[in-house]
Amino acid sequence: MFHVTCMIAVRRLLAAIPTLLLLALVVFVVLRLLPVDPLATMLPPSATAADAAAMRQQLGLDQPIPVQFLIWLRDAASGSLGTSINFRQPVTGLIVAALPATIELALLGLILALFISIPGGVLAYVLHVRKRETAADVGVTVLQSVPAFLWGLLLIIVFGVLWPVLPFSGRIADDITLPGLTGFALVDLLIKGRFDAWLSALSHLLLPALALALGFAPLVIRVLRSSLIDAAREPYVEVARLRGVPESRILWRHMLKNAALPTITMIGVQFGFLFGSALLVEMIFGFPGIGNLMVQAVKGNDMPLIQGIALLFCVLMLAINAIVDVLYVLMNPRLRVS
Amino acid sequence: MTNVTADMSNPPPTSALPAIASRGHGGPSTLQRLAQQPRVVIGGGIVLAILLVAIFAPWLAPHDPLGQDLLHMLAPPMWMEGGSADFPLGTDSLGRCVLSRVLFGARVALLVALCSALGAMIVGSTLAIVAGYFGGKIDRLICYIVDLWMSFPPVVLSLILLVGLGTGVDKVILAVVLVDWTRFCRVVRADVLVTRQRDYVNAARLMGFSHLRTMLREVLPAVLPLMITLFSIEMGVATIVEATLSFIGLSVPPEMTTWGQMLADGRGDIRTALWCMLVPVFAIILTVLGCNLLGDGLRVALDPRLRSRGE
Repeated sequence: MFHVTCMIAVRRLLAAIPTLLLLALVVFVVLRLLPVDPLATMLPPSATAADAAAMRQQLGLDQPIPVQFLIWLRDAASGSLGTSINFRQPVTGLIVAALPATIELALLGLILALFISIPGGVLAYVLHVRKRETAADVGVTVLQSVPAFLWGLLLIIVFGVLWPVLPFSGRIADDITLPGLTGFALVDLLIKGRFDAWLSALSHLLLPALALALGFAPLVIRVLRSSLIDAAREPYVEVARLRGVPESRILWRHMLKNAALPTITMIGVQFGFLFGSALLVEMIFGFPGIGNLMVQAVKGNDMPLIQGIALLFCVLMLAINAIVDVLYVLMNPRLRVS
Repeated sequence: MTNVTADMSNPPPTSALPAIASRGHGGPSTLQRLAQQPRVVIGGGIVLAILLVAIFAPWLAPHDPLGQDLLHMLAPPMWMEGGSADFPLGTDSLGRCVLSRVLFGARVALLVALCSALGAMIVGSTLAIVAGYFGGKIDRLICYIVDLWMSFPPVVLSLILLVGLGTGVDKVILAVVLVDWTRFCRVVRADVLVTRQRDYVNAARLMGFSHLRTMLREVLPAVLPLMITLFSIEMGVATIVEATLSFIGLSVPPEMTTWGQMLADGRGDIRTALWCMLVPVFAIILTVLGCNLLGDGLRVALDPRLRSRGE
């Protein structure tokens, strides 16, 4: 069992390598279309043409693009993604420092989204059964029309300004420093036993995570609802009904388990979408994660940093797909034999 | 898979236009079906109203959207204390009329929505029809490109593209087309695969129609309802992308007014002047809601296969 799942994971990751290379190439070429000369921000105003040429050579910018790509690839393989132009620090270090915050935010967002969408999906299904599907459809459509970053602004207005109960800026109160063991604030503070700081970190996470969850939940509700409708047509439902199993038990115990499979696949496919929304939500909440880093990089035309983050997103997406495949096998007994 | 099984249970269509050409076959015509679908009427009404606002913004707006009135900075809307009918929705921190700005913002929003949805539809559906019709290596290649493209979260890809392309409305449209053609390609291709198996498509080939003619005359009309539905939904997506990009400050030069910019400007005054932010928030939500309702209603009204399913 464990062996099979490992095999699947390894096979998926190996198959992802060519994809990763191609994606890296696409990003590389797109960023080379940039009309702005990256040297302009790096050189002092007094620099001469000779200085510029020297720097160009030092950065490898005088080489043709295919050669530049190979150099970048060689460095990337050895773990170096270059030096950020604006921060003047290694890109790898910047990413490693910011990544845990984003993962923490996205995971909490996912958990909150499940808390919203599982009851929501079941409710939508029940409304469908009772011929009230228009109400459910319109409700989901309205929710779907509000993207995560607008939810963020609305949540700030409601819980930050009109009824100021939650903080909406930064990752933790200003006077608390994070211990920095794993980089995950909630984990680190728990290990250190600093509970009031832990609460502060959680309260800072709550609004951005909720914004992500509200943006994501309608998608899950839709898939769960239609999976439940499909599940209702299966013979086992009728069998259970004939055996006298109560309707609510059929729904929650039998159908929901089967409807979970397509839903998990969808969540896996869309989890990258969640990361994408996290990018904007982080910016709105001043949350020091990858998203804020990306926006700063984009505004500053910081090519090495943009490239590094883009690569990171590709790796994340491919890793998530592999994890979903494994989960799928674990949850679907029919696939385990082969 | 479900599509195929659903098809086998239905009688084969007698016309090359299964959804559109139901006129003359008994049943209500397409137009009647659309008019009976409240979501189409409401969603279409909202989109049409915003379109009219966008077109007639210069006549509707009481002030110049960029005109600063430094004597009336952060004036509240007219129904609040201290508000005046001069500025019905109040003013922002530079004394610009919020109503005029939101009306003019509809222009950029709808321009981007219409052009980029059209572009994405043309690029995506063309590739989808080619892939689904010819199958084999061409299909595999196009599908691989779609998968590759979809490995990026859309926000990340559009940010990277805008860095490469530079800013401006045309660049935003191009970026949305380049990001979102995959949505069309993936969904339309599945539909083309089903259509290609139909007898009337084979009949067309047997009659000696060229590939191009078969694709345009037989396959395209069959997938057109799906394309129209996706187009409507894509308009909503493009509106969000434009608002997002201009909120970050990447979309358009400052002398153009956009809803995203209004959000970014209003954010600084969130504690004192809530209306600066609430007005564009509701404008965006209303537009997207209109597009989504229209798309949802169109799907239910135009696609007979989906009518019984709860998707």
